Amino acid sequence: MRDVAVVAFTQAKSVRAERDLNETEILIPVIHDIKRGAGLETKDIDFVCSGSSDYLAGQSFAFVSGLDAIGAWPPVSESHVEMDGAWALYEAWVKIQTGHADTALVYGFGKPSMGDLSRTLALQLDPYCVVPLWPDAVSVAALQARLCLEGGVLSEREMAEVAVRDRGKGKSNPYAQVTGDFDVDALLAEPTFVSPLRRHDCSPISDGASAMIIAAGDRARDLAERPAWIRGLEHIVEPQDLGIRDLTTSRSTQIAADRAAVGKDKIDVAEVCGPFTHQSILVERALGLGESVDVNPSGGALSAHPLMAAGLTRIGEASKRIWDGSADRAVAHATSGPCLQQNLVCVLEGA
Amino acid sequence: MSELPPITYTLEYPYTRTTGPVVGAFLTALRDGRILGSRCGDRVICPPLEFDPDTAEPVAQDLVEVGPGGTVKSWTWIAEPTRKHPFQQPFAFALIVLDGADTALSHAVKARGIDAMSTGMRVRAQWREERASAVTDVYFVPEADAVDTYVPPGEGEVELTEHLISLDFKEAIHPFRERFARGLIAGKFIGQKSPVSGKVYIPSKGYDPLARVAMTEADDVELPPVGIVAGYTVITPVQYYGQKETEPYIRASILLDGADQPLGQQDIKNIPHDEFRSGMRLRAVFRPESERKIVEMDNRWGSTGGVIDHWEPTGEPDAPPEKYLEHLF
Repeated sequence: MRDVAVVAFTQAKSVRAERDLNETEILIPVIHDIKRGAGLETKDIDFVCSGSSDYLAGQSFAFVSGLDAIGAWPPVSESHVEMDGAWALYEAWVKIQTGHADTALVYGFGKPSMGDLSRTLALQLDPYCVVPLWPDAVSVAALQARLCLEGGVLSEREMAEVAVRDRGKGKSNPYAQVTGDFDVDALLAEPTFVSPLRRHDCSPISDGASAMIIAAGDRARDLAERPAWIRGLEHIVEPQDLGIRDLTTSRSTQIAADRAAVGKDKIDVAEVCGPFTHQSILVERALGLGESVDVNPSGGALSAHPLMAAGLTRIGEASKRIWDGSADRAVAHATSGPCLQQNLVCVLEGA
Repeated sequence: MSELPPITYTLEYPYTRTTGPVVGAFLTALRDGRILGSRCGDRVICPPLEFDPDTAEPVAQDLVEVGPGGTVKSWTWIAEPTRKHPFQQPFAFALIVLDGADTALSHAVKARGIDAMSTGMRVRAQWREERASAVTDVYFVPEADAVDTYVPPGEGEVELTEHLISLDFKEAIHPFRERFARGLIAGKFIGQKSPVSGKVYIPSKGYDPLARVAMTEADDVELPPVGIVAGYTVITPVQYYGQKETEPYIRASILLDGADQPLGQQDIKNIPHDEFRSGMRLRAVFRPESERKIVEMDNRWGSTGGVIDHWEPTGEPDAPPEKYLEHLF
């Protein structure tokens, strides 16, 4: 295996609805900044891979416009996944492993404010037996939350504590969207939004983008003082049918964490992508995080959830803790699909 | 000036899916008033699968009847249904373990209110009077509300199931597109000239896609209503969902004089197809001012529909290919 590290990361500030910019214009300054920061020109980047969903823009080939931010002329070696940018990172990492590239630029972007996101996400479900009923994403998460609550797996208080923790930490993140000091008892006194979920249990809808540069071996050492080496990168998917899965645990996260050897050594920082509070808890448990781990110093997905970029952003935020020396070993997580159907786990180390 | 209304559009895809042996049998039975599960090892899975979800191995088809009664394993309440939901009044989504099945079916429960829902409650399948060979042929009610009705069997096996995907979008018209649209209403073509590359784009995206820099109102330029046919296609319409044309029609890319990017998708109405050619010089004829309206405008591709009545030949000699070969689209 080649040593590959995260050497640069940039993101746009997440906002509920970006009025005057389309998704490419949200992306352009992010790409400019990351290239300038890393001191790289487009020609210095061997491979480009992006993650986005045309369903968010409601237009076929919307992802092609994203390439305007990179510059498709002169031609670049490029690919796209209709997934979170974390999976674009996976493809870029494989590309580097195969020896076809030494550097890669990865980005994820989305402008879900144009549509009805919760409804759009219904299209992730089984097209024969479930989509025609149009269960929206919040309702589907609510089915999972009730199973967890009534099964004694977790409590409403623990869920509210996650919201308080993440949005409190999010205060120091200038790119976050919903942050502040909240009180658990006050949150629990709020009415339910989609039973049994309350509003604080749901991540915000965010327009946003993020970008990352990864590089192999000496190229990474040239580009970063203390590269964040990717020591484990795994992703696992569970069956599509909600009724078949055990929704009270995140088995795929657990398997991915085992394969990425999360538990091999002490973890200092974890960045978890939990679109709903109960999902964050399930993922944290599946990762086997101990008490001493600083979870979501960025505020996590509950503070900002730019769909198609939020998972990549978790890996970028974890990398920042390695670069600044505040962590020697970090784990980042990304998720895709209804009720944590597919999960990616990335272990980063400073040495 | 009054503000232009936001861009709204509905994205629709009419999916017709082949069902295969297992989903086909499931939907056929559903149409006929029965629910099937599939035996997989010592479990019964509903809705049935062609494969073992744990190993992805194919399983021998062994379908068994389950339900119509079942137990709610989890549920949530939809207080404000949207137009694609199975009910237009508040209802529940639930995970339902049907009698005889070991896994839960995701489906809708028509209950009188949120207080009528609880985990562990008994529900029963009800069939819609009009069935469409789709999973929506059935729904569930609390057992006490259930009414047994005769479901007359349909004809043949269900081999296809149809569903119309439909999503609504709304976006403010972006400043550069608004100036382009207002120009059209005034009978003018407003593009943007990149301060870096000097290229002239129409309609502009608000940035120079080559130099990747944002452009502002100061970069706006007016272009003449005359240009060259840079390329075209004669389309024989296939009557797919949403196709409004019935006769062969031309869509042309027109490179306005002074532009570096052709206006795409221009409708050519008044020029016989056998006389139409690349290099031809054309002039835009706008509709009378009172009849101009902005239709199908978006922030990405742009449209001139609703403003230009037609394009007419200027009578000038054709432009040589080197004038437009760089701009084929």
